[in-house]
Amino acid sequence: MCLVFIKIKSRLKCRRAVRIVWSRALAELFRNATPAEFLTITACSSNVTHYKQYPPNTSKVYSYFECREKKTDPTKLRKVKYDKTVFYGLQYILHRYLKGQVVTREKIQEAKEVYREHFQDDVFNEKGWNYILEKYNGHLPIEIKAVPEGSVIPRGNVLFTVESTDPECYWLTNWVETILVQSWYPITVATNSREQKKILAKYLMETSGSLEGLEYKLHDFGYRGVSSQETAGIGASAHLVNFKGTDTVAGICVIKKYYGTKDPVPGFSVPAAEHSTITAWGKDHEKDAFEHIIKQFPSVPVSIVSDSYDIYNACEKIWGEDLRGLIEMRSADAPLVVRPDSGNPLDTVLKVLEILGKKFPLVENSKGYKVLPPYIRVIQGDGVDINTLQEIVEGMKEHRWSIENIAFGSGGALLQKLTRDLLNCSFKCSYVVTNGLGVNVFKDPVADPNKRSKKGRLSLHRTPSGDFVTLEEGKGDLEEYGEDLLHTVFRNGKIVKTYTFDEVRDNAKLKESELEDLLL
Amino acid sequence: MMAAQDFNFLLATDSYKITHYKQYPPNVSKVYSYFECRRKKGAQFNEVVFFGLQYLLKKYLAGAVVTEEKIQEAKVFYQMHFKQTVFDEEGWRKVLEKYDGRLPIRIKAVPEGKIIPRGNVLFTVENTDPDFFWLTNYIETMLVQMWYPITVATISREFKKILAKHLKATSGSLEGLDAKLHDFGYRGVSSQESAALGGAAHLVNFCSTDTVAGLLMAQRYYGCPMAGFSIPAAEHSTIISWGKSREKDAFECLLDQFPSGPVAVVSDSYDIFKACKHIWGDKLKERVMERSEDSALIIRPDSGDPAQMLLEVIKILEECFGCSLNSVGYKVLPSYLRIIQGDGIDLNSINEILEKLSDEGWSAENMFFGCGSALLQKINRDTLNCAFKCSYVETNGKGMDVYKQPVTDPSKGSKRGRLSLRRNSDGFIETVERGAGKPEEDMLVTVFENGTILQEYTLDEIRKAAQLWEEDVNPSQHNEEDSNTLEIHQKRIMNGVH
Repeated sequence: MCLVFIKIKSRLKCRRAVRIVWSRALAELFRNATPAEFLTITACSSNVTHYKQYPPNTSKVYSYFECREKKTDPTKLRKVKYDKTVFYGLQYILHRYLKGQVVTREKIQEAKEVYREHFQDDVFNEKGWNYILEKYNGHLPIEIKAVPEGSVIPRGNVLFTVESTDPECYWLTNWVETILVQSWYPITVATNSREQKKILAKYLMETSGSLEGLEYKLHDFGYRGVSSQETAGIGASAHLVNFKGTDTVAGICVIKKYYGTKDPVPGFSVPAAEHSTITAWGKDHEKDAFEHIIKQFPSVPVSIVSDSYDIYNACEKIWGEDLRGLIEMRSADAPLVVRPDSGNPLDTVLKVLEILGKKFPLVENSKGYKVLPPYIRVIQGDGVDINTLQEIVEGMKEHRWSIENIAFGSGGALLQKLTRDLLNCSFKCSYVVTNGLGVNVFKDPVADPNKRSKKGRLSLHRTPSGDFVTLEEGKGDLEEYGEDLLHTVFRNGKIVKTYTFDEVRDNAKLKESELEDLLL
Repeated sequence: MMAAQDFNFLLATDSYKITHYKQYPPNVSKVYSYFECRRKKGAQFNEVVFFGLQYLLKKYLAGAVVTEEKIQEAKVFYQMHFKQTVFDEEGWRKVLEKYDGRLPIRIKAVPEGKIIPRGNVLFTVENTDPDFFWLTNYIETMLVQMWYPITVATISREFKKILAKHLKATSGSLEGLDAKLHDFGYRGVSSQESAALGGAAHLVNFCSTDTVAGLLMAQRYYGCPMAGFSIPAAEHSTIISWGKSREKDAFECLLDQFPSGPVAVVSDSYDIFKACKHIWGDKLKERVMERSEDSALIIRPDSGDPAQMLLEVIKILEECFGCSLNSVGYKVLPSYLRIIQGDGIDLNSINEILEKLSDEGWSAENMFFGCGSALLQKINRDTLNCAFKCSYVETNGKGMDVYKQPVTDPSKGSKRGRLSLRRNSDGFIETVERGAGKPEEDMLVTVFENGTILQEYTLDEIRKAAQLWEEDVNPSQHNEEDSNTLEIHQKRIMNGVH
């Protein structure tokens, strides 16, 4: 068996001339192509061979996407449940990769060459793609119906469906699976970000009586910790569905280009130091560094990382004594924000608050919690994930500190430490038409009931009590269930429905009922 | 080689870095920073594969990355983003005027593909013109994303070590090793670009992949015409679309459509055990046995506990098809039949599976593996503690070694001064700090200077540099004395210990 691959390699060496020709062609393809033109090469290898595997006379393949419900072992306690997900990010994929003309004759030829080398065999569906080129001028004959972006939907419900609209192109539905399944990422970032918003809302309300500033309580620090520039843009935009503070500039660009907002920008930041701008002054000049930076930004908030050598000394001696006068002069609109960046997050935050609380006059707010004077605040941007966030706000509340005192920054946990398994995002075929007959299809592996998929044509409805329900087997066609919440967003190469980022934010905002539940 | 045209380099950084030019000491003329995978006590991985910088240089950093248009776009953007004017328009215009928009930066790096112990400098960055001291750390955000290809290539190589160990032990040879771990991660990764970069990083160690974007990345940025291969394979939709009662017809269609060359068939849509016993092992048994060694049927389970599942499946296949013993006494299924496990694979489970199989007398030759998110997504910058820190500045004409050393976390301490990398007299790779390194011993190579890429590596060269070493394949033969010396050496390069 292993010999096969060795044979492949030696055959490759003998085909130098061919290789040079098509590798030049490939280089051309890659150099000049727009993202949309990569469709023939953006599927998984195995997708390339599937057109040969469906039953004969199949004229339609219909698939759907969901965040599967997972009935976990009750003995395994999961800290965060993620019962509902925020649907977001499909519009980016449609605009960037699927709309308009996605193939040309040259691209088809080039793809054919690539796959011939990759499989060491002719398996590419040249005929199928030429058909799409000729009949549809290279536009994709598929229809995608989806829940409105920003919608918050319980797990286990259909979020979008994909079906071929031309009997010759039944194979196209699952060709686009790979690219569409990547929507797991913006969905998961937006969902995880929103769950953190709930935690912050709860503790902010409990310790201060208001939600003022909630949207700036979790700042995106994740640009350097993601796997690529493109991921940064998608992920940061997903976080901005729930919050407004970000340092990941790429996210704003994605929103402006693919969603649009009524405001000039959907996300904001403030001047802030990094270690190099402190350590460049030398170990004995940390105070000079702090003083210089504070003076550079007198009338806006400025965040200054204070742990380069000794965070506690910096808080007590430098901020608390040497530069106290400068800090006290600052207005409530332009606080100094002290940034620890090492050590156990909760312990460090509590100790920093304690030290600052001794050096600066505390007030007690209407809820009886301690607040630093308005010209000084804290931001914890190290080791923050949904679990430590919970620990920190809980710990602060226990020690009678209001959440008004603090903001958080999150990087890797916000934008990178997530996988498709967190919300069990999955794309499955549920219905086919073969020999003119519709058949409800599904998988149901004996070894894992959680992996069972839905059957037939699907639709999403609201029950009289306001819950969501997915109807299977085409039952949604019957009038009695009311309107299907899935709308056609893409048909035959055209995007037919778009959402602005304002609409997305509106759909995803925390509901009154959710806030009430949090405070119970 | 020009960087991407419509990409605005000025917007490709953390917002706060826009404000840093105002924060450095007055009269600073040089900022010198470096990148490492910090060493951490009790860490799982001790060495890393350096890979991916060439991609960043070619795509984003080379050539004229600043234009007047981009400066204007950035200016307007930051005005709104900060709600005030803070963007260093003049600084960027100087880059445009003095250097035609090329970056006055020098990057020195370890050759790509090299295996370097944690805690060592991997690349350094400095400005080449005193007016642009602020530029070094402006590009930190982009360069720190190197954590990703480094980590994928490293994890992929760790997989290879495990596979090599078991393959050698249960078959006597390493034949076919680089086809044993197939990249299934395309759909589970966060974006197309990450798929391409991660896919290419895996191809440093292996040659089998379904992540097509990785092939193109390797071709365009690393000069390899075809870095990876795949085979026809089923997915659930191509099986279940036949209907529950026609799984056999679906399977048969696959055998018919792909008579020559290997074909992988996912067999757990309803009941993997029945599929193996009654369909493959009975109704289609003859069709399977007809296939040649080059055209094996590769059965794919896709649910249940991986190790348990495989033991059961392989037992059933043994009952139906028999097996033979190889030269080292392990059982091998007939050459027309193999198994691929592509669900739930990570470094722990793959080791567990191969151990359990070998405990039961089965050779690793029987198995192929597919890995998705554990390879390309379930990793982060903390996996190898990747960090970029300033270690040296020049102010008022004087050089100064700088560092952070937080009392709250000694492992976050950074290196000091100008750095170089060398192999010491014991043969171990180490970082020399404080500018004390001898240039002739320095393993770091200038790869980028003032907008030009000065050194390139092909995937072939990288693959060669990243090959497994003898002790990776035969760990039991590793000399005990050697390992003690290594440990002592590694302790010496723990961060923050000076």
